Amino acid sequence: MHAEIDSLIPLKVLVAGGFGVGKTTLVRSLSEIPPLLTEQEMTSASIGVDDAGLVPDKTTTTVAMDFGRITVDDSLILYLFGTPGQARFWFMWDELARGSVGAVVLVDLRRVDDSFPAIDYFENRRLPFVVAVNRFPGSDEYSPDAVQDALALPDDCPVVWMDARDAGSSRDTLITLVEHALARTAVTT
Amino acid sequence: MAGHARSAGRPEPRGGRVVPVYALTGGRTRATDGPDMPVESIVTVTEAGVYASDLQLEYRLAVELAATPVSVIEIAASLGIPVGVARVLVSDLVNAKYLVVHLPPESTTADGGPPPEILERLLDGLRAR
Repeated sequence: MHAEIDSLIPLKVLVAGGFGVGKTTLVRSLSEIPPLLTEQEMTSASIGVDDAGLVPDKTTTTVAMDFGRITVDDSLILYLFGTPGQARFWFMWDELARGSVGAVVLVDLRRVDDSFPAIDYFENRRLPFVVAVNRFPGSDEYSPDAVQDALALPDDCPVVWMDARDAGSSRDTLITLVEHALARTAVTT
Repeated sequence: MAGHARSAGRPEPRGGRVVPVYALTGGRTRATDGPDMPVESIVTVTEAGVYASDLQLEYRLAVELAATPVSVIEIAASLGIPVGVARVLVSDLVNAKYLVVHLPPESTTADGGPPPEILERLLDGLRAR
């Protein structure tokens, strides 16, 4: 269970998507620790109006973020970060995205618009991502091509149907992401 | 949404803290020296850390958590403190040689992600699960 202490390597994957699409569920399905909630500082430059007014000369406030952990082998530990979907949290994604393996963008086909900010973000930053259609009623009526079109995805962006409540399905989604990231390194190096 | 989740998920403060946790770090939320430490950086305790005495509460708890490999963000969540504060605590403990930090791999790719050989290992590990 324990990793080799001399050669520990932390890795991370972002789980993004609109509010209520299943990000926390996916993190919970995969994590070996109970999903934890933590606070991340926000600085005023990144947010519009917030409740930092009580602290003079200090416009720092916090936002909750949940995360999980997978011990992959004797030295790799993978962290999963469920990131708030709203565009106003982009500043937070910048830190999380840096050095990450990539992102899973969870999509509810009844509310595809909610996933555009995340997709735009990862495309602009050239971060590998997969679109994971979380199975809600009616989601099977669409083909991958239709989803690709509706979301205006790059041709090489994988689209998978999955169930965020299911550990195996969630793991397969991660595998698809890592395969995609690996294929990208072969192209870009 | 964030405010609600925060109050719901926030652990009870331990040890009856009466001063803001920022006071502990002198208001610092960024480590002043050493490497920039991403939130997923892992720390482990050193022998000196195991025998460290008279540490302040939060420092002591962080050292105890690092008895098994633990990340900066897990320390933040466990202690119920903001990530920036946890980063400063950890950085101080690393400078004091009570903790060793294990940083994420240096990128060798244009995307800025982990090197291919690390991704291969990640893939093997996930497939074996």
